[in-house]
Amino acid sequence: MLRYTISRLLGAIPTVLVIITLSFMLLHAAPGGPFDSQKKIPPEIKANIERKYHLDEPLYKQYLRYLVGILQGDFGPSYQYRDTTVNEIIRQGFPIDIVIGGCALAGALLIGLPIGIMAALRRDTGWDHLPMGLSMIGISVPVFVVAPILILVFAVTFHWVPAGGWGTGAPKNVILPAAALAAPYIAYVARLMRGSMVEVLNSPFILMARAKGVPQYLVILRHALKPALMPLVSFLGPAVVGVITGSIVIETIFGLPGIGRAFVDGALNRDYTLVLGVTILYGLLIVIFNLLADLSYSVLDPRVRY
Amino acid sequence: MRICAQIRRRDLRRRWCLAVLIAIPFCFLACGNQKQPSTISRAIQVTSDLAAEQILNRHLEADPRSLDPSLMTDVVGQRVCDDLFEGLVTLDEAGHTVPGVAASWETSADGKIWTFQLRGNAKWSNGQPVTADDFVYAWRRQVDPATGSEYSQALTPIENAMDAAAGKVPPSKLGVESAGPRMLVVHLHAPTPYLLALLTNAYLYPLYEPAVKQWGDAWTQPGHMISNGPFLLSERVINGHITLDKNPYYWDASHVRLTRVIYNTVGDNDATTSQYLAGNLDFTNRFNTSETERLQRTMGDQVVLSTSYATAMFGYNLAKPPFQGNPKLRLALNMALDREILMKYVEHGVGIPAYNMMPPLEGFDDAVPDWAKLSADERHAVARKLYQEAGYSDSHPLETVITYASGGPGTRRFMEALSAMWLMNLGAKVQIYNVEWKVMLQSLQLKQPLFYWAAWSGDYPDPYTFLQLFQTGFGMNYGDYSNPQFDALVEQASKINGGPERGALFHKAEEILNEDAPFLPVYFYVNPHLIKPYVKGWQTNITDRNLSRYMYILAHQES
Repeated sequence: MLRYTISRLLGAIPTVLVIITLSFMLLHAAPGGPFDSQKKIPPEIKANIERKYHLDEPLYKQYLRYLVGILQGDFGPSYQYRDTTVNEIIRQGFPIDIVIGGCALAGALLIGLPIGIMAALRRDTGWDHLPMGLSMIGISVPVFVVAPILILVFAVTFHWVPAGGWGTGAPKNVILPAAALAAPYIAYVARLMRGSMVEVLNSPFILMARAKGVPQYLVILRHALKPALMPLVSFLGPAVVGVITGSIVIETIFGLPGIGRAFVDGALNRDYTLVLGVTILYGLLIVIFNLLADLSYSVLDPRVRY
Repeated sequence: MRICAQIRRRDLRRRWCLAVLIAIPFCFLACGNQKQPSTISRAIQVTSDLAAEQILNRHLEADPRSLDPSLMTDVVGQRVCDDLFEGLVTLDEAGHTVPGVAASWETSADGKIWTFQLRGNAKWSNGQPVTADDFVYAWRRQVDPATGSEYSQALTPIENAMDAAAGKVPPSKLGVESAGPRMLVVHLHAPTPYLLALLTNAYLYPLYEPAVKQWGDAWTQPGHMISNGPFLLSERVINGHITLDKNPYYWDASHVRLTRVIYNTVGDNDATTSQYLAGNLDFTNRFNTSETERLQRTMGDQVVLSTSYATAMFGYNLAKPPFQGNPKLRLALNMALDREILMKYVEHGVGIPAYNMMPPLEGFDDAVPDWAKLSADERHAVARKLYQEAGYSDSHPLETVITYASGGPGTRRFMEALSAMWLMNLGAKVQIYNVEWKVMLQSLQLKQPLFYWAAWSGDYPDPYTFLQLFQTGFGMNYGDYSNPQFDALVEQASKINGGPERGALFHKAEEILNEDAPFLPVYFYVNPHLIKPYVKGWQTNITDRNLSRYMYILAHQES
């Protein structure tokens, strides 16, 4: 397993390199530069700025300089936020995305899993149809509809929680954004869990266990849960990255200082280093969480060995 | 029978499930709607006493690009720097220039040398005195090529500024010197009557050299920054909030009542409104203007519309057909617009119809064209006549495209309304084309768009900053307009140190612009604010800069 992990990690290096190279080239190919503004800057002054950020160098030199920087853990200065570095922006914003994403995912699992299991056990009853119907709403109603409704009800009307902002990261600031982000994931988890649980419960080894007189809760916990979790684990790998990176809309609606917003603003303002830094981070997250998902198969399924 | 009953029961159950599914979102909506009016009109009882807690939650519509006065280029950065730093002069509540670090000043007879006397009690946030050398250091740093400042051209009126920025002379040659710790002498190229207004801007603030030297680019981080304004920097979270605390060393600290100002960055206009309604913001700089009427109805005086000196307009590419050498066509398009209708129904009253370039500025008589006074029918008739004289008709209509940078659904609606007006009043077929902001900037530099949406915000409340835009060879004269008579008038006016003669020359120059129509003015900007009734110490003013230094919070209770 260690060999497999190391080989997967080594295999990720060219992937990340391709991500960096492609993003670097695409960003530089996009029309407009980071220091273009409506108030036209005299050429001499623009040259000063470009010199300061090495933008006057040939593209290959800039690329190599950037790669050397990354190897030293330096993502470079932000062009958009001129007195800050990309490292600092990520250091400030990323923990916020992790907290919101983590809470959303934890909520999705804590609520979605039992619902899915319950729906599978009470198949074709109200206990199945109601949550599955609701979950369709969860999946199909976009987050930019759910979030304002949550704000309207819980912040504007009842004043229970703030309508946005991060403050010091207190639970009251986390609840609404995490809930809005969790809504579709609760639905996904519940539906996935129901599907796989139904399938597992129909397997011969469950029938065998029941025939031997194993109580229902043990059948579920000891025999059915593990194999039923397999599809969910495949889903969770990308989902973890999804909740962390996918909170851009949430960040905008709730005015949260995560990196998702900085990423979008950075792209619009041609902040090359910021966009590259966040792209690399997102790329690494996808590689790592997919690896973790693959590794967890071997824990859940005795047939999988690395 | 049994089977039927079971089926029916299941059927009923299904229907019940469906009903619940449909009902849930509506319950939420209904709940919101029922409560909304009472929430929005939630009465706030304000007394005349000061609140015990003097903390103000202000709003930033974007995160400042920098808090370094030498690197700062945006309005939001200026807002924060207004509280952190103080220049030689500053602004009062009404937006007028008043003494800041300089207690007094005098000008030489030719208007080219200004001598500022600094107040003895001006201090940095570490207790050190603010000296003339701090200004000399900051201004030299501003033009130093190594700083990479985007705004060093703002120092153009100061001797050798542009040469120093271009690296032709060292920054030490900049026309500013200290004649003792409390006397600063500024040498100008030409008389600059608007110099005092310039001096209120961040790029001419003083800097504390030891902090900049010690921390390098990181000197603007909380804990590193030493500032000389009414507040000091306590916390900064990019895209989150910027917290400022009262600076005990500020020379006028005894009159500063707020103990803390928190600037919250909220970019989305709807999110801004909900944060205001939920009580997270006390003073916003924006809201979704399509909600203006509703907010005015429910919140009355809390909706504040503040006129500013910025003009929204269309630019033409005057070097390519159809607009090249065709002032009649340009004027026809200009006169065919019903600005009053646009402002009332499309912009919801957030904008003032503009028929000329210069917004109304105190002490200047802007040149409004005569046709602005015509009735809509008369105006349309003249427009159609000009349109025909320009060579267009129903059988041969003008076909062109407006290019505009993405600005959300509101801007699109506005463009559609304009296009419809031109079609209805002239028969011109004007399509709309939306591009990304940076793409727009690059295509403007490449002179690609023929007809494009633009805005010009003055750097200071003076006609020069508006009329300069149409001078031959000026960097931002994207349409390449050139009229020697206009150039001469503006040049002549810019060399006069104030007075009615200067105003008259600008007026004449603007009349020429009105005749040549090298652009199409649409409206003057109005900044929409939401301000809680307990926030006092501010006035709407043309600079749209409200310093927290003057503000205070009255005791209040929400019921």
